[in-house]
Amino acid sequence: MSAYGLSSSRLLGRARENFDWALFLCSALLAVVGVVNLYSATSVVRASLQEMYIQQIYWLVVGGILATVVAAIDYRHYERLGYALYAFGVVLLVLVFILGRDIRGSSRWIYIGSFSLQPSEFMKLFLIIALAKHLHDDPKSEGRTLVDLIVPVLLTIVPLLLILLQPDLGTALILGLIFLTVSALTRIQRKSLYWLLGGIVGIGGGGGALFVPLLWNNVLKEYQRQRITAFLNPESNIQGINWHAYNARVAIGNGGWTGQGFMRGTQNQYLFLPDQYSDFPFPVFAEDWGFLGSIVLVALYGFLVLWSIRVAATSKDRFGAVLAVGVGALIFWHAFFNLGMATGILPVVGVTLPLFSYGGSSIVTVMMGIGLLMNVSMRRFYVAPGRAARLGYM
Amino acid sequence: MSDLLVPRSDVGEFRKRYRWLALFAFLAFLAIVVRLFQLQVVRGREFAETARENIIRRVTLPTTRGIVRDAQGKVLASSRPSYNVYLVPGRVAPSARPKKRGAPVMDEPDTFPRVADTLRLNPDERARLAQRMATACATDEDRSPCWRPILVREDLPRDIVAELKQHQVELAGAEVTPSPVRYYPYKNLGAHLVGYTAEIDAETLGRFRPQGYESLNAEERAKVNPLGYDSGDTLGATGVEHAWESYLRGQRGWEKRVVDARGRYRTGPEAERLIDAPGRQEPIPGRDLRLTVDIELTQAVEKSMRVHPAGAAVVVDVRTGRLLAVYSKPDFDPNDLSGGGGRERVRQSWAKLSTDPLHPMLDKTMSGSFQPGSTFKPFSALAALEDRLIDPEETVRCDGVVYFGRQPWHCTHVHGKVAMHDALSESCNIYFAKVAEAAGMDRIAKVAQDFGFGTKTGLGTNPEAPGRITTRSWYALRYRGQFRVGFTLNTAIGQGATTVTPLQLALAYGALANGGTLYLPQIVRAVETSDGGVVQDFPPRVHHKVAIRPENMTRVNEALWGVVNDPKGTAFPVRDAALDVAGKTGTAQTGFITHEGDDPKKAWYESRDHAWFAAFSPSKDPEIAVVVLIEHGGSGPTQAAPVALQIVREYGRLQAARAGHPTDQRQRAANAKP
Repeated sequence: MSAYGLSSSRLLGRARENFDWALFLCSALLAVVGVVNLYSATSVVRASLQEMYIQQIYWLVVGGILATVVAAIDYRHYERLGYALYAFGVVLLVLVFILGRDIRGSSRWIYIGSFSLQPSEFMKLFLIIALAKHLHDDPKSEGRTLVDLIVPVLLTIVPLLLILLQPDLGTALILGLIFLTVSALTRIQRKSLYWLLGGIVGIGGGGGALFVPLLWNNVLKEYQRQRITAFLNPESNIQGINWHAYNARVAIGNGGWTGQGFMRGTQNQYLFLPDQYSDFPFPVFAEDWGFLGSIVLVALYGFLVLWSIRVAATSKDRFGAVLAVGVGALIFWHAFFNLGMATGILPVVGVTLPLFSYGGSSIVTVMMGIGLLMNVSMRRFYVAPGRAARLGYM
Repeated sequence: MSDLLVPRSDVGEFRKRYRWLALFAFLAFLAIVVRLFQLQVVRGREFAETARENIIRRVTLPTTRGIVRDAQGKVLASSRPSYNVYLVPGRVAPSARPKKRGAPVMDEPDTFPRVADTLRLNPDERARLAQRMATACATDEDRSPCWRPILVREDLPRDIVAELKQHQVELAGAEVTPSPVRYYPYKNLGAHLVGYTAEIDAETLGRFRPQGYESLNAEERAKVNPLGYDSGDTLGATGVEHAWESYLRGQRGWEKRVVDARGRYRTGPEAERLIDAPGRQEPIPGRDLRLTVDIELTQAVEKSMRVHPAGAAVVVDVRTGRLLAVYSKPDFDPNDLSGGGGRERVRQSWAKLSTDPLHPMLDKTMSGSFQPGSTFKPFSALAALEDRLIDPEETVRCDGVVYFGRQPWHCTHVHGKVAMHDALSESCNIYFAKVAEAAGMDRIAKVAQDFGFGTKTGLGTNPEAPGRITTRSWYALRYRGQFRVGFTLNTAIGQGATTVTPLQLALAYGALANGGTLYLPQIVRAVETSDGGVVQDFPPRVHHKVAIRPENMTRVNEALWGVVNDPKGTAFPVRDAALDVAGKTGTAQTGFITHEGDDPKKAWYESRDHAWFAAFSPSKDPEIAVVVLIEHGGSGPTQAAPVALQIVREYGRLQAARAGHPTDQRQRAANAKP
């Protein structure tokens, strides 16, 4: 009988006792508030958009089912299939270029029947799993050298480049940041660290001078360049490129202490907010609920991120720990970049707000990530071989 | 063996890092919270104000321009409703917009085909418009031209307007905007006097809205631009419409409306909640004007001048200085220029009017000045009589020609022996050579200036020509050579450099007729409210009394009576025994010199004399003075005099007809069709 077969149902039973209510409640609360906010955000736009929140609920249901499945299967199966999943993700990314359609100058979608799929979203999870597997299989208690980092770097850089080619700067950025966060978890030998820092300073100083103009002129698209210059001069050109960012800030400010009230934010209701359902759902929320509502929301994200670190810390193995930190990093960087760009402390990069932004791939990815967290959290207790034997796992 | 039995990996490597990751995440979220505090609490009020400014728009409420009526209450200028249609590309043709990433496909139907059918666009216009909309919708950001309305049709026919309004839903994106158009029921009649309205031009607008106007506060704005002119506004361009603009225009009001980022107005309690008091300022309608002119008399003037291509006529009430008819020919239809029927019609009409060799846009009654010819003689005679420089009973022998040195100077006929009476009534130039000699140029000029010649009358409706009364000093400045006696002779008979406007001549004859009172010409009799109440009534204003002794005036007037009634009078052959008219004919040489290569037909016309007749009636207790100028009409007695007599006849007929029904004039005026 396979160890992964029906016999593990008792283990699941044990895991059920360890159900992580805090994680579940926090995520569910965010999802509900997200839908309510989406309702407010799309209530004013034409009739066809008013169905968006219903669509979002469908996605949440699908995401919930998938998260349950993801949580139910012991995460060590993912560990075993880690590289296969990763390879699958990379293949999907390549398929984008073959099957994808060009929308607004970038191709990010695969169409299967009436469904559209954004592989770069799922790639984030596959990368986390692959990185976790690598670090799990490669324990270095005496610290890592630069050579040891080559594999994780390669694992990251392949999908990152593919996504940059789409081009999707935001998602590529998130991949890079997930890698950095996971790397920060590992112990790197002091000498290697110096090399690394030296290299960064060298590349930043010398190579940067060489590559930044090259990057600026040849790699970045016109709209990306405009976004960066707009960020550097936030109060300039309010009528033009900065109009969106400026009006997002006006909406947040218009919220004041307690907000204008649900569905009463004028910036949103009178269409001054761009992309209010995709990139800028937060200004809608901040305008409706004010500073008090906003800190509650930020606290919820903060709790989710800190909780994922706690899950990692209590994890019984390296794979689970990296998995939890990776998912936590995913949520953290998404939330931080989205809130940062809405409030104007970061440039406008197309990064969604987890569980708030409209979009199937994004919702399902985040939900599955939370499923992974739950998985690790439920199975945090190490089952000693002897106890396993007594429980009849043999 | 199961994996379960293998001890799990060592997690010690990560243990120390969690704390730092947690701290980093905490600080990052704290930074967000601090920023939120700054935006929402510290700068909250400022952003709330900006958000308000975003959605509250002050919409100007139109005012209605005042109506211009003639003395009898007939409408000469009013406003009629007119509708323009604009298309918003993004709403008429959603398919032209770029597809949006991530957003669900919006299956809004294109209303454009149906809109185009309703507007009866031809295939060519349709294609051009579709192209233009596709260009506008290259992007559909909130402020892209995709959401900016395009003007498609002006002054739509009523049935199309009704259709558009009825099917608003199916024709989404087609906006019908009212834009009242000035309407002149009498068309060409009185066009120069009433004038027309036109869209404000850049130069005028620049005067009302100088650089930096936008940054001024309301008070300063009111100072530079009290009537609130904005681009696209219409204002009076000529005539009464121009001169009385500030009365006719009215004051626009405003209303606060809630508007979204795409410029659409929102209504309903949710939107109205956002409007702060005061939410509205009512517009003040323009004042109506009651003119002194009688459009029926003007109609008669037009009819009696119908055979002549160009000229002018002025009828003035000699007892008040009120103008009863002012007519300049050729004329134009102010409806062509006031925007009715669209910009294209205005452009075409302008192109035609500005190239017409007879200058239809020129108001010849006051903007054009002409040699008065013999109609000037009474004033020369008065100059000589006043200082007793000539004995009116003494005769001069006219042989038809007189020589100054070797220069022959011709008279119209051989008059034989003439005294002043006959010299005026028969228009003898030889006699006036003697008058010129006796009085001298400066005395004649003094009397002429006393009668108002050489200066603008101050009517103000159209740019006035001052005319010219020559003096010796004027010639001294103008000619290097010696002063010649011929200059004075020319002045005495209204030739040479002397010019007058028909309006000046009419007022001067008015002064002759009423015993020496020179009135200020008056065109607006009263300012009225839209319901007929009188706001301001303008009594006649006397300019001054001329310094002429009554017996001299009487003597000249008798001679003017003789012009029409003496068997040898110049106008006797065309007189009407039933009319009591005194007047003076004039045939003024134009000094046109034919050049080689000129169009012979044109040269023939241009070289003909101006024909004049200046008259008043009745000769005792006169009521009106009439001046008729037929440009290049030829002879005054045969061309101008019959026209003037016809005008006097019509005046009498109208007076008699109205005397029969004095009470219901306004009623009849309302019923009468133009």
